[in-house]
Amino acid sequence: MTNSKEIKKRIKSITNTKKITKAMEMVAAAKMRRSIDAVLKTRTYANLAWETLINIATSLKKQGSLNHPLIEKRDKTNKELIVLISSNRGLCGGFNSAIINKAIKSIKLHSKNSEFILIGKRGESVGRRYGYNIVAQYEKPDTNPKVADIQAIAKEIIDDYVAKKYDKIFLAYTDFASTAKQVPRIRQILPVDIEAEDKYLGATGKSEKIKIDKEYIKEKEGKHLLEGQLFKYEPDENEVLNSILPRLIEVQLFQGLLESNASEHSARMAAMHQATSAANDLVDELTLYYNKARQAAITSEIAEISAGAAILNS
Amino acid sequence: MSQKTVKFEIATPEKVVFKKEIKQVTVPTTSGEITVLPNHIPLISTLKPGVIEIKDENEEDEIISMAGGFIEVLREKIVILADTAERAQELDEERIKEAKTKAEEKKQEISDKDEVRFANISAQLDKEMARLKALTKWRNLKR
Repeated sequence: MTNSKEIKKRIKSITNTKKITKAMEMVAAAKMRRSIDAVLKTRTYANLAWETLINIATSLKKQGSLNHPLIEKRDKTNKELIVLISSNRGLCGGFNSAIINKAIKSIKLHSKNSEFILIGKRGESVGRRYGYNIVAQYEKPDTNPKVADIQAIAKEIIDDYVAKKYDKIFLAYTDFASTAKQVPRIRQILPVDIEAEDKYLGATGKSEKIKIDKEYIKEKEGKHLLEGQLFKYEPDENEVLNSILPRLIEVQLFQGLLESNASEHSARMAAMHQATSAANDLVDELTLYYNKARQAAITSEIAEISAGAAILNS
Repeated sequence: MSQKTVKFEIATPEKVVFKKEIKQVTVPTTSGEITVLPNHIPLISTLKPGVIEIKDENEEDEIISMAGGFIEVLREKIVILADTAERAQELDEERIKEAKTKAEEKKQEISDKDEVRFANISAQLDKEMARLKALTKWRNLKR
């Protein structure tokens, strides 16, 4: 009898756990949908900012005067910084370990002399387990992040870069490919690499390319515009470049954050879904045991009674 | 061959605020206010916080407040990349005034040594001013 009672207790506790995982799954699904929406909304800005940058850079290059400190490559890489976006909470499957492993691997490819800025609590293990120096740690805004949330980080890394504290800065984030697939990625954000056409952040695949009708401009402005310098810039190219570059870095960080959020929520959703179905299986199995135990108890009771009756009859 | 309207878009990092065919748009660039009509020559300019005035294809006016950014004029479209932007009819006067007074108070408190904070507060103040200006313009228009 005690046996069947214990099984019943376990069934009850697993059923309760199942309710929790089911609820978490649903919450994660709702958050994921919102995060995906947010990602799509930032794409326009990111694409346009990137295209503008390319336009200005090409124009300046032709004049031979492209030497902005945020674009220029440095000859030697002494120290690197990685901005790692992880989650604040666990229970999201392999989400955190995937991005951390990817970041650690990329360091091994580059240099050992790297430091981290963490967005999200779970990235801490890069310091604890792997012994890398963590310069700063920020809480990740989980729901409805605003650009203002990452502005401080963007400013910090730009300042550090300009002050030559680091020679390269990377962003480690998880790209949201689909609800079933999230890909950890490392992306260089400083120096801004204008040659690398970015497929994932910034100019995304299907972006409308800026087309300029050269004939049209010649006809219209003729002498004023030199070959290759198709835009008029106000106040001038460098001024525009100066204000667009920090924005671009902000928007890249922001997009990385949104992609990571979408990935985290969908990873959590998948993990919780698995947990729920595992709980279901367990409950089924335990119910079977419970019934068997109950049956056994009844059978032995009947056997005892009939044995007792047999003794009385004889 | 010359077009009468042009595609126009205001994008912020968070979303696309406005997207329509328009007849003209007036924006505050850092070197002064300009009005862009269809068939303008390609231009990229930085913008300061202020009010964007739009006349759309149906001659309807639209007022949008903006906290700095860029305008990009292309042959076939005009794009504004703004840090933040809101349509005037969605603004709430009470809240703007509150935010403005708060920013003004803070500006008073800050010593002139703290340049970064001073710049931040100034930017905040400019933004609220732009919002207020947008709202006033919008009201005058509707009257």
